Amino acid sequence: MFVWQVLLGVALLGTWQGLVGAGVLDKFFFSRPSEVAMRVWQWLVTGMLGEHLAVTLLEAFLSFTIGAGAGIGLGFLLARVGWLAELLDPYIRIANALPRVVLAPIFLLWFGLGIWSKVALGVTVVFFIVFFNTFQGVRDVSPALLNNARMLGASERQLARHVLLPSALTWIFSSLHVSVGFAIIAVVVAEYLGASKGVGSVISESEGLFDTTGVFAGMAVLAGVVLVVGTGVNWLERRLLRWKPERSESSGTRA
Amino acid sequence: MPECYQEPDDARKSVSAAPAPSPAESRQTAAVSLRGLTQRFRSNSGAYTAVQNIDLDVRPGCFLSLVGPSGCGKSTVLNVVAGLMTPSEGTVEVFGEPLRGVNRRASYMFQQDALLPWKTVLENVLLGLTFQNRDGAEAHELGRVWVRRVGLSGFEHAYPHQLSGGMRRRVAMAQSWIVNPGLVLMDEPFGALDVHTRQRMEGEVLDLWAGSGNTVLFITHDLEEAIALSDEVAVMSAGPASRIVARHHIDLARPRNLLDIKTEPRFGELYRTIWSDLREEVLKSYARDRE
Repeated sequence: MFVWQVLLGVALLGTWQGLVGAGVLDKFFFSRPSEVAMRVWQWLVTGMLGEHLAVTLLEAFLSFTIGAGAGIGLGFLLARVGWLAELLDPYIRIANALPRVVLAPIFLLWFGLGIWSKVALGVTVVFFIVFFNTFQGVRDVSPALLNNARMLGASERQLARHVLLPSALTWIFSSLHVSVGFAIIAVVVAEYLGASKGVGSVISESEGLFDTTGVFAGMAVLAGVVLVVGTGVNWLERRLLRWKPERSESSGTRA
Repeated sequence: MPECYQEPDDARKSVSAAPAPSPAESRQTAAVSLRGLTQRFRSNSGAYTAVQNIDLDVRPGCFLSLVGPSGCGKSTVLNVVAGLMTPSEGTVEVFGEPLRGVNRRASYMFQQDALLPWKTVLENVLLGLTFQNRDGAEAHELGRVWVRRVGLSGFEHAYPHQLSGGMRRRVAMAQSWIVNPGLVLMDEPFGALDVHTRQRMEGEVLDLWAGSGNTVLFITHDLEEAIALSDEVAVMSAGPASRIVARHHIDLARPRNLLDIKTEPRFGELYRTIWSDLREEVLKSYARDRE
């Protein structure tokens, strides 16, 4: 399957390259895969790529850890304290319904052009995904498991550690691909809207210069990052959810 | 051995549907003592009384089964004894002390699968000890002994989803007996198993119980199972507002051979006597269901 996946990619890029070469697509608007690759290579050897990518990854990492930490914490709390969940319910739904992008300029004003305005936007995205999944996961634990653990003498803390958290983890993991991807998207969007460092700012700069090759190169870098991070998440998921029944072979999809 | 089946007191001679003994005559410390237990539930269609005015004593070291038609509130009684439910009325005493909160002197083998899917067989068996913060080498060794006792050697590191239904029940059994709590509550533990697995596991329960000193309160809708295992069988009436309508002493000798016990004449006699009580209640519950 992997071979076919590579072949498909090569075919698509080849078509693109061919169409531009034959003059069907305008080189100014569409650039060319070969030029994009050259540009990425140029960025790589000049050290510019490393510099900007490091900033973007740091921002994504911080948004993810802070957002996930807060989401797990609050999800746990609300799932265990019924009246609090009821009290906050409409506000959480309102907050979740806000389009996050409109917050980006406000965060720029609050936190400046540095990394924290990007982290703030990433956190608002990651937080809600993790929060809702933790909440569901904790609520979803079967009463039989809870009662069994209680009868075996579990304190509230042991109940959280041995029963509630592992149950919530399966939910959190099922959303991990989405939340990690969103963390990267959010910080890149924030960089795009105003920053001096980061892949998003590079794309924005290239766009300002009508440099389509630069824009595509930025996108290619992001695609690579998402691919690598996705593989990492898959690996982590397989390790941490070892106890889960394996999916049937035929429906298994490989990254 | 417990005296519960060796010297029946006059108030409840064997095979007589005697009324429950009055509080006065069971002054000796019972493992479980229920007085006037009533449990009501509120539902959208008003209040529902599951069990009403139940008096029950289970003597220490005895094996007592509660039988009754389905929906008669057997599990309710067990949940109250477990401390998972607070009774609407009446008192619960466990080894002479009033029960508050979760029953710390009892372990509970649930009808449903209640193993933690993210823990291995050994970790599940050790769960009660883990909660007591006993997780050293000694506890581990004890866990292995129990895994072996329930016949699961070699499966210590398997996860529950890799086991058959019967094997999962065995893990649950080891999990609830390893803590040696004094009182073991079992709610139709083998209901979902096939006949042969079930019979083997019934034998294993008796093996675990014999000489352990634990008191067992066992729930089943299967009268044969109840007679084969117990020292005493208590029959509950059809719900709602179930009561205990009869108590029967089972004077079959121990140790019992479960493969042959059902063909013994005494077993047949006991079965017919108790069934005549149970039959009426089952018919009533049919009639109620049809309404």
